[in-house]
Amino acid sequence: MNARRLAEPRRFLSAAATMMLLFTQPRHVAARDLGNILLEKGAEKLSIAAAADLKFAMDQIVTSFKDANPGAEVDVIYGSSGNFNAQIQEGAPYDLFFSADIAFPRELAKNGFASTEVRPYALGRIVLWSAIADATRMTLASLTDPKITHIAIANPKHAPYGKRAEEALRASGLWEKVESKLVYGENIAQTAQLVQTGNAQVGIIALALALNPELAGKGGYWLIPDNLHEPLEQGYIITKRATDNALAKRFAEHMSGKSARTVMTKYGFVLPSESADKQGDSD
Amino acid sequence: MPLSSGDLQAIWLTVRLASVVTIILLLIGTPIAWWLARTRTWWKGPVAAVVGLPLVLPPSVLGFYLLLAMGPNGPVGHLTQLLGIASLPFTFWGLVVASVFYSLPFMVQPLQTAFEAVGDRPLEVAAALRASPLDAFFTVAVPLALPGFLAASTLTFAHTVGEFGVVLMIGGNLPGVTRVASVQIYDHVQALEYTQAHELAAVMLAFSFCVLLALYTWRSGPKKGA
Amino acid sequence: MAGIEARFRLDWDGFTLDVDLTLPGRGVTAIFGPSGSGKTTLLRCIAGLERAPQGLLTVNDEVWQSADRWLPTHKRPLGYVFQEASLFPHLTVLGNLRYGMKRSTGTQQVSLDQTIELLGIRPLLNRKPDLLSGGERQRVSIARALAVNPSLLLMDEPLAALDLKRKQEILPYLERLHDELKIPVLYVTHSPDEVARLADDIVAMEGGRVMANGPLAQTLARLDLPIRLGEDVGAVVDATVGMIDEPWHLARVDFPGGSLWTQDHGFPIGRKIRVRVLARDVSLAREPLGDTSIQNVLRGRVDAIAADEHPALTLVRVRVGDALLVARLTKRAAAGLDVALGKDVWVQVKTVALLD
Repeated sequence: MNARRLAEPRRFLSAAATMMLLFTQPRHVAARDLGNILLEKGAEKLSIAAAADLKFAMDQIVTSFKDANPGAEVDVIYGSSGNFNAQIQEGAPYDLFFSADIAFPRELAKNGFASTEVRPYALGRIVLWSAIADATRMTLASLTDPKITHIAIANPKHAPYGKRAEEALRASGLWEKVESKLVYGENIAQTAQLVQTGNAQVGIIALALALNPELAGKGGYWLIPDNLHEPLEQGYIITKRATDNALAKRFAEHMSGKSARTVMTKYGFVLPSESADKQGDSD
Repeated sequence: MPLSSGDLQAIWLTVRLASVVTIILLLIGTPIAWWLARTRTWWKGPVAAVVGLPLVLPPSVLGFYLLLAMGPNGPVGHLTQLLGIASLPFTFWGLVVASVFYSLPFMVQPLQTAFEAVGDRPLEVAAALRASPLDAFFTVAVPLALPGFLAASTLTFAHTVGEFGVVLMIGGNLPGVTRVASVQIYDHVQALEYTQAHELAAVMLAFSFCVLLALYTWRSGPKKGA
Repeated sequence: MAGIEARFRLDWDGFTLDVDLTLPGRGVTAIFGPSGSGKTTLLRCIAGLERAPQGLLTVNDEVWQSADRWLPTHKRPLGYVFQEASLFPHLTVLGNLRYGMKRSTGTQQVSLDQTIELLGIRPLLNRKPDLLSGGERQRVSIARALAVNPSLLLMDEPLAALDLKRKQEILPYLERLHDELKIPVLYVTHSPDEVARLADDIVAMEGGRVMANGPLAQTLARLDLPIRLGEDVGAVVDATVGMIDEPWHLARVDFPGGSLWTQDHGFPIGRKIRVRVLARDVSLAREPLGDTSIQNVLRGRVDAIAADEHPALTLVRVRVGDALLVARLTKRAAAGLDVALGKDVWVQVKTVALLD
């Protein structure tokens, strides 16, 4: 530190305070305090882990939340629910976790990683989607057409949408006929990619993804009847880490608010209490 | 340590993929490395940069663009259609093509270095001893560059074994066809089957270690002798 | 052998090679000059290791390079000995020798066995090059170049990378080569000693150009461009040992037209030998001096006179029988003696150096 710096007592004092904090307190606490000091206020920050299919819906909801809460910092990380589940158990710094499969947050709650009960936010639906054919005219039976050589589904072993796709295919007696044509994506977004690039002529993807403007422009979808598979309950929790984060609680409230529900519905995330079959055909 | 049949299948597939890719890259990479080592035209820079691209491209980026290129609307896809062969994604040979791109610098760069180390003189001597350029290449350059061949092959093999991002993008995860060991481990983790993941990972680690150990021991061995 | 015609022009950064010469198709031709004079480049052009854009090269009536022909190195029937042996490290000595043999055509002029004996490398055959000494490596590399049955042997400063001891070791082998092979040799060197001992003809180069070109003795005795083979201008005489004066340890060497006495180095009578006489050791007289320590006094005729470096000095060339000797005098002395072309004079030689 040079003489000029020393001449500004306030800066010097806060730097000194920082040094003291760093060296006298347990490091993670000190780091947080340091972070707060550097931000110059007790700014509110939120880190949300969300399933890949929530992208468009969540982006809009976060924007409206930030409008209502100026000064709040909200980061959303999109990815595979299974990954997030594992990461949160290893201490990943997420404050909220929106999972595509309610099983994951339930497990986290059971193992003490949640600070709230598991709240459902939607019932996932699967659809047939194609970028090169007209899926609105298809049914599951169309999959046996020899012109279709590759059908993309998410990996049933660990992706919730993949499991439901398999269930639906089995329930309609088509599994044996089409299994040899199946190709597997690691998560639902990657599965959609396989179809979008034309490598798989058709795929079973999430309704939420098919409604996504990026994909909706490329092809239509056919809603697979939900009596062919187990319901895909989707739920979220506030993590234990965010127990004292007031912003997290406010976000949870925002999620059940009217504006958020409208957005969710628009993107195909419908709660059982709401009318599910507004878009597309069923049965 | 009982590995499931799925695991064994994945390992065998991985070994097959890495072997095929290494052999193909030996055939393709050697002339490229030779040219890069010997040429003096200004093309050398751009070609070397293109060859080195896969080193800096994230695998998923490479995989994504390969997916597009090999798809029905991409240049490679059009080519396969023209030739009347099945499209490349979701096939073993699709992985081979992708891996050849992805592991190219691992074959070419060590070979190029080895050829550069040979220098001009041995080849001039060979020419003065009546050897044609091709003859000189096989009877002088290759023996002198042998350690480079070994290093390049080993690196290529190991790199292909470890490949994940690219395979993920274009493989479709088909058992016995494109479900390589790295993807199998990933699936175990995703499905919370941690024990199987650990076992398979341990096997792959041990295998890779043995390969590298053999290479490095061989390299320091013969030098001590005549 | 019809000879070699070579015309090359190379323009590199900071160096230009510009030669147009005819070389004999037999014997050893030394290509002599300081470093940077272009001698190695010339040799490489003849070998085809460098390609001068519009070069012309005819060897023994065969066109190796012309405007519409380029014979690549491996098709030229030559042998090349590089400055640093450059043996193949992955082959044994025998493997190195066989490498060229396997690829050469025609009947061996010199059999492999002969070559091995000539260069004394039989005990080394099964060794790898990294276990050989510098001198041994160079001998192997010469043998290897001979094993391809060359019609022309090119040697690029083969002794330059060796220390004095090794050089002395190999020179005899080279002299044997010279005597026993019928293959013409182009021998690049900057060593006056090697030129004096081995060359039949000389090409003197400087700055990428040929300064002089011709049979050794004649070219060295040229006064218009005094070729300094080392410290001083001098002449070289090919002679035969004629007589030995044992009590005084002297030997007399004879050449057509005269003799010179020199120290007895043990060479037998009849042995062909070359002697060197430096200009500074030669003086002239109108009449033979009576009592003098100088033993070598010969009669000859002045056939050339030229200025020397310092304005006070002059060089005078005298023909004694078949030999040419060069004397350095002050101009004043020459004037005093009335030295003129065609005049008969007595030549006094103080020191005769035997080259062997």
